[in-house]
Amino acid sequence: MASTSIPQASSAPEIPALGIGPRLAYLLMLAGMLPVAITGIGTFVLGQAPMTHWVLMAHVGASPVFAVGLTLVALTWPSREARYGSFSWFLFWLLLFAGWIVVLSGVLPMTPLLGTEGQHFLYLTHRYAGMAVAILTVLHLLSLRPRR
Amino acid sequence: MSPNCASVSDLPLPSHLRVRAGKFVLRGALTLLLGCLVSGVSDALAADSVATESRMPYRHVIPLRDHNGDMITLPPAFDEQGKPQEPRGSPFSTAQTCGRCHDYPSISQGWHFNAATTNVPAGRPGEPWILTDPATRTQIPLSYRGWKGTFRPTDVGMSDYDFLVQFARHFPGGGVGEPPKDRIDTNDVRMRRMQITGALEIDCLICHNKHGHYDHEARYKAVTAENFKWAPTIASELGAYGASRPAKAFADAWRPPRPAPTNLPPVKYERHRFDAANHVLIDVTRKPSPNTCYYCHTSESNLGDSRWHSDGDVHIRAGMSCVDCHRNGIDHQVVRGYEGETKDRPVSPEAIALRTKLILRDDPSISEADARTLAETRLNAEVGKVETLSCSGCHYGSSDGLSAGRLGAPRPHHVGFPPIHFEKLACTACHSGPIPGNAAEIVHTSLAHKLGLPAPLRGANTAPAIVQPVFLRDANGKIAPHKMVWPSYWGTLSNGVVAPLLPEVVAKAVGDKLPSQAPADVERDPYNTKPLTNEQIRDILTALGAGRTNGEPVFLASGKLHRLANNEVTSETHAAAEPYAWPLGHDVRPASQSVGGVKGCADCHSGDSPIYFGTVTARGPVDPKDAVSKTHLEFRGDDETVVSTFAFTFKFRPMLKVVTFGCALILLGVIVGRAFVALSGARSSLGRHSK
Repeated sequence: MASTSIPQASSAPEIPALGIGPRLAYLLMLAGMLPVAITGIGTFVLGQAPMTHWVLMAHVGASPVFAVGLTLVALTWPSREARYGSFSWFLFWLLLFAGWIVVLSGVLPMTPLLGTEGQHFLYLTHRYAGMAVAILTVLHLLSLRPRR
Repeated sequence: MSPNCASVSDLPLPSHLRVRAGKFVLRGALTLLLGCLVSGVSDALAADSVATESRMPYRHVIPLRDHNGDMITLPPAFDEQGKPQEPRGSPFSTAQTCGRCHDYPSISQGWHFNAATTNVPAGRPGEPWILTDPATRTQIPLSYRGWKGTFRPTDVGMSDYDFLVQFARHFPGGGVGEPPKDRIDTNDVRMRRMQITGALEIDCLICHNKHGHYDHEARYKAVTAENFKWAPTIASELGAYGASRPAKAFADAWRPPRPAPTNLPPVKYERHRFDAANHVLIDVTRKPSPNTCYYCHTSESNLGDSRWHSDGDVHIRAGMSCVDCHRNGIDHQVVRGYEGETKDRPVSPEAIALRTKLILRDDPSISEADARTLAETRLNAEVGKVETLSCSGCHYGSSDGLSAGRLGAPRPHHVGFPPIHFEKLACTACHSGPIPGNAAEIVHTSLAHKLGLPAPLRGANTAPAIVQPVFLRDANGKIAPHKMVWPSYWGTLSNGVVAPLLPEVVAKAVGDKLPSQAPADVERDPYNTKPLTNEQIRDILTALGAGRTNGEPVFLASGKLHRLANNEVTSETHAAAEPYAWPLGHDVRPASQSVGGVKGCADCHSGDSPIYFGTVTARGPVDPKDAVSKTHLEFRGDDETVVSTFAFTFKFRPMLKVVTFGCALILLGVIVGRAFVALSGARSSLGRHSK
């Protein structure tokens, strides 16, 4: 995580530094994302999709951790995100949006709302939005350098 | 076809039509007959020479023909002196009568007849014939198709003739019932009886009789008396057997090398069925009703007086017929209706020959070789349409884009059903057979329990014991419900292989060691279903072993092999005692009664789900406590820990949904809120600039 001690320009409004809360939220999101990404992308890359058995259980079991972590990031980060520049800001909001799609497309199939075609659409949406989240997270992490 | 007969109006008519026409236009008919004789009578009688090709059924007022192809002509009711004359004649031959217009050799390749005579792929395992003998507690699954777990009749010492005597009650003829005359071994004491009993030809009227004037019980009695040649005539109520002495008695009395008797009884025909020209109305249908199919294909797990609880198949209830999906062409390769069936359906040489002929007729410029190639290509392409007659093919469409919704099949919504289930489950897993319970239940079938024939009420222990549903993986790796039967027989074990002994061999070898039923018990238990005790098994094994040098006597029952060790019976698992299972397709239940349609996910994903944790106990003639008992998942080889854990996670599913939906809602709020703020900021900025 980037340092928070870098002074801001005097003309700009004060951007609060990242406290322990946002950092923990981000860590929680990463902790949830890691097993989810490994199981999800791993089975896809290895040609074993769709997931079954222990892999599926690990994926589903870790998914609420990611969802809660992402939500906490969404609640704690927006006011501080501007510290890291517009590209990071852009990635952050894209990540939140893709994450929202992943979360929603993960839980909607568990409800009696959509038929086979809808379920299949959600499955593909979940797969590709999940990959997008993984990529965006990596990019966002790389972009986390405060502006000078 | 002769050039002389090229136009439709000049088409050569089959003989029966020629006779009828002759009544009205004698000169024309004579001219036609002469013309056809000149151009080649064989062409005129070719099987594909005439057809109405209308959706309107043809009214079959036709002459009957005997096995020599001669028209059956009844003597006048009274002779010249006024004495009444009996309407006697030879039994009619379906091959000669129906085969005049319908290509009998092609029909003979059909699924119902071809098990033993051709090299057609066996396809998905199906219901076997089960050799059952209550006295010796024998139940051996038999099939000519070579399905793993079944025996070929010859492997257990049954000749084709023995097979017919045993199973012709539900075997429609053809195939083993109709061996070429030159292939009947006159030294074979069983097969040579066919020189007297005649062949068991394909009985077309079993299926194609329209109005139910077909007496299955009469046919059963006829084939039991080995009146094979007479059976179609008697069962279709065209006449009765003309003597009290059956063909069996003639065959028993025949002592080769004396010539086979020829003074066999005639048929006493029903005179009122014949018109003045000796033609008979054979009221047939191309599409047999479900009731016709049910004679051989009833499968009932509501036993005895609880039968009225059965709802039947949802498709039949909706007004469909079995043959709407299980259809066939002239080759009678009935669509079995499972996924992947197309690869098991080779195009028969007869079908290619017929299509080649039609191509050559339409395009005389094409060479015969090219026509044959074209015919083969077209027929193979047509086989692909079979895919659309499976459950998924009809309701969803086939993989190559052929249209779904044949016969108005609705497209299933499967709301809330993740698509992975379609990769793991066959349609039948959720929709077919009885609603699965905690234990697989006994089922009776026509072929196994002689349903359709009158007998004392069959009970839960009436042999053979078949259970359903057992959820196994099919050839595609999908979970599908199966019927299952455990072999039960006495045999000899040698080098790890068990050779079955036929019931009559056992009965002869052990004599009075076989437990006899007390007379008082016969009425209560007419099927002699009392399990054997260990002492009885020991006594029989001892008797079987006396003087036997070729192998150790053993008894297979309820999934175990029983043998003697220190004069005590021990039991163990053995490959030969493994059950034979075959997928079930019917009765199809409606969506609301499907697995998953009652309790949703919990129908399968719970700790007491029948599809995983239901028990399947081997049924057979020994104490049930000694029988093999497994759960469905054990039969499939699934990992119980995985299944149990996965089921356990479903307890947290509601919480997971609440948390995840809550998160999704908050995320949406944050994103929308930010977007609103951004839009407001942009608007303010625009306002400032405009000022």
